[in-house]
Amino acid sequence: MASEKGMWVVFIREWKRILSSKICIWGMIVAPLLTFGLLMYMMSAGLPTKIPIAVVDLDNSLTSRSLVRQLDAFAKTDIKFKSLSFKEARVEMERGKVYGVFTIPRNFAKDAISGNRPKIVFYTNNAFLISGSLLFQDMKTISVLASASVGLRMGEAKGYTQGQLMPILQPISIEAHPIGNPMLNYSVYLNNVLTPGIIFLILAMFTISSFGSEVKMGTGRKFLDLAGGSTVKAIFGKILPYTILFFVLSLFFMSVLYYYNNFPLNSGFFPICFAYLCLILSAQGFGLMLLAVFGNYRLSLSAASLLGMISFSITGFSFPSIAMSPVLYALSFLFPLRHFFLIYVDQALNGIAWQYSAYHYATLLGFFFLGLICMGRVRNFMYENVYEE
Amino acid sequence: MKKLLLDIYYVWLHELKVVFRDPAVVLLFLIVPLAYPVLYAFLYNNEAVHEVKVIVVDESNSALSREFTRKVDGAADVNVVAHVADMEEAREAVRRKEAYGIIYIPASFSIDLNTAQQTAVLVYSDMSSMLFYKAMLLTCMEVSLEMGADIRVNDMGHGTRAQDASTMEAVDYEWVSFYNVSNGFASFLVPAILILVIQQTLLLGIGTIVGTHNDKKRFTVASHMSEGKNIHPLKLTIGKGFCYSTLYIITSAWVLRVVPYLFNLPQIGDPLTIAVFLFPYILAATFFAMTLSYFCSQREFVMLLVVFTSVPFLFMSGISWPWVSIPPVLKAIAYLLPSTPGIHGFVSINTMGATLSDVWFEYVVLWVQVVVYWALATMMYYWWIDNYDPKYKGKHPSMSKF
Repeated sequence: MASEKGMWVVFIREWKRILSSKICIWGMIVAPLLTFGLLMYMMSAGLPTKIPIAVVDLDNSLTSRSLVRQLDAFAKTDIKFKSLSFKEARVEMERGKVYGVFTIPRNFAKDAISGNRPKIVFYTNNAFLISGSLLFQDMKTISVLASASVGLRMGEAKGYTQGQLMPILQPISIEAHPIGNPMLNYSVYLNNVLTPGIIFLILAMFTISSFGSEVKMGTGRKFLDLAGGSTVKAIFGKILPYTILFFVLSLFFMSVLYYYNNFPLNSGFFPICFAYLCLILSAQGFGLMLLAVFGNYRLSLSAASLLGMISFSITGFSFPSIAMSPVLYALSFLFPLRHFFLIYVDQALNGIAWQYSAYHYATLLGFFFLGLICMGRVRNFMYENVYEE
Repeated sequence: MKKLLLDIYYVWLHELKVVFRDPAVVLLFLIVPLAYPVLYAFLYNNEAVHEVKVIVVDESNSALSREFTRKVDGAADVNVVAHVADMEEAREAVRRKEAYGIIYIPASFSIDLNTAQQTAVLVYSDMSSMLFYKAMLLTCMEVSLEMGADIRVNDMGHGTRAQDASTMEAVDYEWVSFYNVSNGFASFLVPAILILVIQQTLLLGIGTIVGTHNDKKRFTVASHMSEGKNIHPLKLTIGKGFCYSTLYIITSAWVLRVVPYLFNLPQIGDPLTIAVFLFPYILAATFFAMTLSYFCSQREFVMLLVVFTSVPFLFMSGISWPWVSIPPVLKAIAYLLPSTPGIHGFVSINTMGATLSDVWFEYVVLWVQVVVYWALATMMYYWWIDNYDPKYKGKHPSMSKF
């Protein structure tokens, strides 16, 4: 009799349901792999290179041309137009052909040497904030360098040696140490959080759908019956296949991220692996909770998709949560992805002891247990077996 | 001709009833586009990061190092929360998230500066956000240049005021950030999200309608404008498309006009140009959504099918990862989506004040998409009826009745 009822039966049945459903294959296997592959491929360069700009060089002297050459030598900047008027350059910017304009005034070299302080003006198109900021760095560096090289010549004229001059030109230098992501790699920065975000979104939705579709087909009671009447066995038998499937998927993602691409992983494999496992469980708990709250397949699914999408923003990996309105900052902690993100920062980037992240691991597991507390409501939902309308 | 227009008109009316009778569709077509943009604008509304918390380790503890710290603290973007004695203490504070960065001033700071040697200030930044790093680095650079200029004048000897100014900075420079003057996050990201919300909610809403038809086997409702009257699929597709589009023309006035106004996002485009540009976008997005909708075999499946696409669609539009750096293959795929030319065009017009001729390419692409997706949606309708409607089992509905 044990072989006909119980958790194992539900477990096997759920695997069959998953593998025989086109929507499950598409949504849980193809979709995450496709998204992951696409984003990784897109950002494989790490940092955007060769962002086009236009240079308006009204001076066209030896000094200004060497300045332009130096600017062109930067990896991020690609000078696409060299002989435009400012008006033409602006039009190119409006058309999105260039993302920045660098202008050197007339008589630049002469004025610089004679102490008349000519002014370099550069423009960035910050409607595209990332391109704009990257170009800003390059163009600012060149402007400061221009000042320095003129200073160097003036200093030499006054009889200083080069060795004496360098500290005078830049008395205080700033050494930047971005902890954990020294290359400022955007792929590291984004894909490490987008990937778990996709996992969370999809898994929360499919957890709901795995119960909802039973009710829709009217097999809710049959399903409870198969588990031998035990709510715990029924629920665990049902969610376990998804846990396994998504854990395997996460292992694959982690291998690509941390092994093949050598993304920073400063506390080793186990803390991040455990974080993925906790995230998977929290997504399932989140799904169960929504199902219990709404008691309706479609509404809880809509809620999961809405909250799953907001997760990407409120987590604060693009725009920090702490800079958002205090209300939103507080609310951000109700999103499991936020906790995963904080674990990831400490364990993968900063490489500090896991105890500092213990609270976030616990919260992720807390979401799972909250979901389990709702088990009774989910059981009733299955037992009532009523699809909307 | 009259019959054609009348048929389209009746399909249109009939479809409106279908839309408004289903609370799920009303939610996706009206409530979500109303609420979601507000939410996103609210999320990013603070635009920039100010007062990033840093800890200073000042081993020099001299007048100059204190001046450096004071100036950094005085800047808008950085807030010095504590001074600690050594690096270990500072690191511990960063681990506890009491600060997001450390500024380390070496013991030799003041001595170096007074003996005309170069000195270095070390800035350690938590990389949980690029914006923290940017705020700290730019502020420290700014302060170091400013103090450096004063020190240089002292080193090289004072002259006239003009000479001093030239010694401080032989070449002056100015940075002008176009179109997004505050360098804000919302001003940059939200316009793209607004455009994407239109396409994605259309996709979800239309998918729900088709899924519901499948669930309830109401193929006659889907194919007729009134009982017993067959409509040619070409006209059917147009009529339904117009129904959804007209709803979205109203919605988009809120999404693209009122929301940016409420949240003070850049809005320098000519409203008329935006309206003209939006017209093919909404049509293209509608027919695109209709094409995909026929894959929704059940009412709820559209969520499972397409919700995740918002993430790749947004990144493929080239708003954050620059369009020029996107691999050509992905650019080609991205141009199959209405959202890509839609976002390019809308950002150009709305944020950058472009005219229609500046976005002519995107405009034409959108019209091409309208035609292509309209044809595809019609073909997909055949496929759908063929596969799902028991009445037709394998033979196409007649095409001769046009």
